Amino acid sequence: MLLDLNVGNITEPVSGRRWDQAEIRSQTALRIGRLRKLGIAQKDRVFLAFGNRLEFFSELLAIWSLGGCAIPIDSRLTSFEVENLVNAASPELAVIDDETPQEIISMLTAAGVKVVATSDTGSDAVTVNSIHLDNDALILFTSGSTGDPKGVVHTHRSLRARWMSLRDHLGVEAFRRTLCMLPTHFGHGLICNSLFPWLSGNDLYITQPFRPDLVMKLGSLIDEHGITFMSSVPAIWKLALRLAKPPQSGTLQRVHCGSAPLSSHMWDDIRKWTGTQNVCNAYGITETGSWVAGLSVADVPAVDGLIGQGWGSVIRVLNTNDTFQSIGPDNICGPGESGYVWLNTPALMKGYFNRDDLTAKAVSDGWFMTGDIGFIDETGRLVLRGRERDEINKGGMKVFPSDIDAVVERFGRTKDVCTFALDDPIYGQNVGIAIVLEDTSDDTVRALYSWMKSHLAESKMPVRWWMIDAIPRTSRGKINRDAVKAACQELQPLDMPSILGKGA
Amino acid sequence: MKMTDLRQNRRAGLINFLRGIQKAGMPIENLGDSDRLVASGLIDSLAILQIVMYLEQTYGINFSANGFDPEQLGSIGNILDLIERECP
Repeated sequence: MLLDLNVGNITEPVSGRRWDQAEIRSQTALRIGRLRKLGIAQKDRVFLAFGNRLEFFSELLAIWSLGGCAIPIDSRLTSFEVENLVNAASPELAVIDDETPQEIISMLTAAGVKVVATSDTGSDAVTVNSIHLDNDALILFTSGSTGDPKGVVHTHRSLRARWMSLRDHLGVEAFRRTLCMLPTHFGHGLICNSLFPWLSGNDLYITQPFRPDLVMKLGSLIDEHGITFMSSVPAIWKLALRLAKPPQSGTLQRVHCGSAPLSSHMWDDIRKWTGTQNVCNAYGITETGSWVAGLSVADVPAVDGLIGQGWGSVIRVLNTNDTFQSIGPDNICGPGESGYVWLNTPALMKGYFNRDDLTAKAVSDGWFMTGDIGFIDETGRLVLRGRERDEINKGGMKVFPSDIDAVVERFGRTKDVCTFALDDPIYGQNVGIAIVLEDTSDDTVRALYSWMKSHLAESKMPVRWWMIDAIPRTSRGKINRDAVKAACQELQPLDMPSILGKGA
Repeated sequence: MKMTDLRQNRRAGLINFLRGIQKAGMPIENLGDSDRLVASGLIDSLAILQIVMYLEQTYGINFSANGFDPEQLGSIGNILDLIERECP
């Protein structure tokens, strides 16, 4: 399976563009010729600075065919963040599209990275397959865009292990016509929602991510293209359930919701809206190739936090999160007993790129410590109860407080900072920040805001700001983000629009 | 109340609400009634749902019954027009 890259057709429902299998082969052959001419060879790393369009998938296949490693990056990152990733990953080449900002292109060029437009295919069609199973296939940067980047490395072997596990547990029939409205630079959207169905020979319908105007037309989109499968995140469903007319054609056979907790209430609403009972909470982590557990047959009562069984993985709930301690039977929690969720799967990442220290903290003897809290119920199903990861889950996309802290700390007049998660009616969580500045004049606040805007992607910018005298710390001197959040919520946040407006 | 006064009152209420959900860097005072709320950078695209909830709660507009055209919420002027149509 998959070694011959047996792809399905791809359609962009919005533009109406469609590449069938023959066209994909032809487009990919041209890109292989062009990449080879540019010197891309085995083990070279290539940035894909765009996504969610036909050309992205063709570029990916071309890179793989030459034995290279693809690094899809979020097109919304600032040039500061992209430069940080360039310094960490040392790519040979970056492929851009017509929407890549000139600032990013200039930065890449200045950093010595060759740049080529995806539309510039050249005319030399080449067919080659230099894929080696243990070569790096993908690096997905999950955090550290402003500091020490954390890149999850998947080999062709680990990706195939994920896809073959999904095929074993779910089959491919329900994925015949798959819709992906998620970004292709993160695991859920790329590895599972897009590549699993597509590289199984099924048809993929790809849209730009998180477009509310598309979500509001979701029902008609499903009907028009006879969509059989889609995956999404709770924030998107909040919008669709409220504003989109349900599909009428009854084509949906399976629906996944992932990347953020799914309540039983929303679960039932999605079932009603989609017209299928086969809706499940797909548990996925980039390090495990995304979907690693769920309900193969999802026609069961909805339960808050219910995941299900492992898909090509063994799940253990342990009473420790210490990856340096040897694990014994005494560490295994009994049915119903909450603890830390650990996973063992052949789809586990090779490790974090050039960060063996981080890998050692996350993986012990092949077991991955997820940072999630949960329990195994009486029937052997995983139920999640929370998480202990230092991240903000903004509508399924993870924002790392440390990335934002790192930028604010570099601002010359910062004395201390703490970024934390705020409850948000749409996204589930959003970004709040407490800052201690040397002076709290409006001019300084405006200068800080401007500094942050030039260093952080828009999606990471805080929505609420507090200026405080000191960041509360524990007796050990550590910051407890929840405690800082609680302290801030007793105070009035800054009226940032007003402060920034005065400086306009 | 005169129609123009009613519209002004509704506008003031809407601006007040938008101020609570807007992004920091865009002074709402700089926005004209026909300026695009999302394209101008005032609000996040998914914040449209918060506007919907505001209109449902404040004016009793039932979007699930009446269907929804995103253009109706594209600008302050369009939203005020919608309120006038639904709550004459």
